[in-house]
Amino acid sequence: MPDLSGQTLTFKLVYYGPAQSGKTTNLLRLHDQLAPAMKGELMTMETKDDRTLFFDLLPLGFRAPSGLLLKFRLFTVPGQVAHDGTRKAVLSRADGVVFVADAARNQESNNAESFRSLAENCARVGLDFEHLPLVVQFNKCDLPDAVPEAEIRERWASAPWPLIFSVAIHGQGIRPTFENLLRAVYRRFATEFSLAETHRLDENQFVAHTLGQP
Amino acid sequence: MNAGFDHEWTLAELLDDGLVDRSARALAPLLGGDVAISHADGRIAWGLLNAHSRGEPLIVELEAIGYLHSHSASPTALRAGRDLLLTLLRAQMRFKMASTLHLEAVAEDFESLKREHARLLESESRYRKLSEELEGRVRQQVAQLQERQQMLYEAEKLASVGQLAAGMAHEINNPLGFVRSNLGSFEKYLRAFTQLKAQLDPPGQAVWQTLDLDFMLDDGQALLEESARGLERIARIVADLKAFSNVDRASEEVIDVNTCIREAAQMLTTQQPAGISLQFDLLPLPGLFGLPGHLNQMFFNLLRNAQQAIIDAGRPGEIQISSEATEAGIFIRIQDNGIGMTDEQISHAFEPFYTTRAVGAGVGLGLATARNIALAHSGSIQLRSQSDLGSTATVFFPTPP
Repeated sequence: MPDLSGQTLTFKLVYYGPAQSGKTTNLLRLHDQLAPAMKGELMTMETKDDRTLFFDLLPLGFRAPSGLLLKFRLFTVPGQVAHDGTRKAVLSRADGVVFVADAARNQESNNAESFRSLAENCARVGLDFEHLPLVVQFNKCDLPDAVPEAEIRERWASAPWPLIFSVAIHGQGIRPTFENLLRAVYRRFATEFSLAETHRLDENQFVAHTLGQP
Repeated sequence: MNAGFDHEWTLAELLDDGLVDRSARALAPLLGGDVAISHADGRIAWGLLNAHSRGEPLIVELEAIGYLHSHSASPTALRAGRDLLLTLLRAQMRFKMASTLHLEAVAEDFESLKREHARLLESESRYRKLSEELEGRVRQQVAQLQERQQMLYEAEKLASVGQLAAGMAHEINNPLGFVRSNLGSFEKYLRAFTQLKAQLDPPGQAVWQTLDLDFMLDDGQALLEESARGLERIARIVADLKAFSNVDRASEEVIDVNTCIREAAQMLTTQQPAGISLQFDLLPLPGLFGLPGHLNQMFFNLLRNAQQAIIDAGRPGEIQISSEATEAGIFIRIQDNGIGMTDEQISHAFEPFYTTRAVGAGVGLGLATARNIALAHSGSIQLRSQSDLGSTATVFFPTPP
């Protein structure tokens, strides 16, 4: 549930996925690619071997025509299996999730395991997984051992979530992923916070302001 | 209110009083002597503001969480000081968020461990229960095997005895036949001699008298009659032996056990002494697949034993016969209030040729035959008795699986 206090509405968005699938890279590229009215510094907590120990945090924000300040705090979870407790704590209170999968064929079981843990942890921290805004991103699609897009699409055909193929390291598919998540978040919470009526933000404006292209 | 690692940290949370004091004192010389730090809402955290103070916002994420003020510093120096303070604030925030998250994660891990522990306990108790069940089942099966083995042993014993009995019955029947026939002829011959006496002349009569042929003829007649009775008894014993060994096997059919009981009782009452009454309490029973003649025989043997027990007690008595069907099978109880049996007698009761009667009064095959018949119908017979109070024979035919 987004946090509304005074004139500030804060969304917590979490990048979830198996170890080294590219969650931190997503935030790094977003930090480079997005130009919203307000953009904080990316706070990363990587160890020297590029593994996220606790989380990364990228704050974004803009002010709606009504004066409401909308803040987005983008977190990543640590992917290592051992850090499940940390993952759960980071995931709690999330308003939307990007699942970053590793497209490499030998990562399929890790992806599945991680996705299962996402669903499980959602239940543990009291999130309604069924109605949680969620986007699934298959990253590293340029690698030779990547599972072909068609095969992945076929496998996920019955899933209700948007499917994005990306090469995060080169910045491909990063914005569309985030945009899809923003749209899902808007649809989920617009009515509740009267975004259109009171704050005069339709879905496109909501997305455009956040991405920084009004 | 969200107190988690991901709440928005205030200046007061990031800089405790000691740290504000130390950083402000360190900044003061750099900013020309005057320094003040205020919170986002304007409250002063350190120092004093005056009308000439300039302020720079302290933005860690998106919004200012406080301001750095000075009236002595140049704008450039003030911004540099602000950046220095921000570096400290970011480091603080990183540390605070990480440590808070760490605590949350540890708590969460602990919760997971507790859940795991509870699950292990549950699974352990499940396995313990399972192992107990298994042990019980093994014990049960071992007991069952032992019982089966015992039954098999007894059945073989009975079978060999039965074979012997059948052989003997067959062998005895032949000489029995011709001895009986010979005795008949001999009786006729003897009668012919009685007519001889009338035909004799006086010297012949004298010899007759001397030889005491009158007595010999009379006694010969009596001896023949006694021998005939003896042969009858042998014939009955042979018949019993044949019944015991199931020699004349008929074909199987679906039987109403109650009918067998009534028929057997009917046979018994034809030789019923006074002072013995039969009480029936027969409930409807499901059909039993078996040999009706043999079942009649079995019930007859049991009823005859009950009758004999009452006669032996030397007082009037009653035989109660009841039957009922349960889920497990068919139960028939034959209860008398006769002389009863000792434990010793019960332990031998089913052995062939075991009898408590005087020699000649019983062969000792009644219960052995009865049990053979019960076994042949997958059933069993149990005896319970109290000396001088009576006995109960319980026949049980289990429901076919």
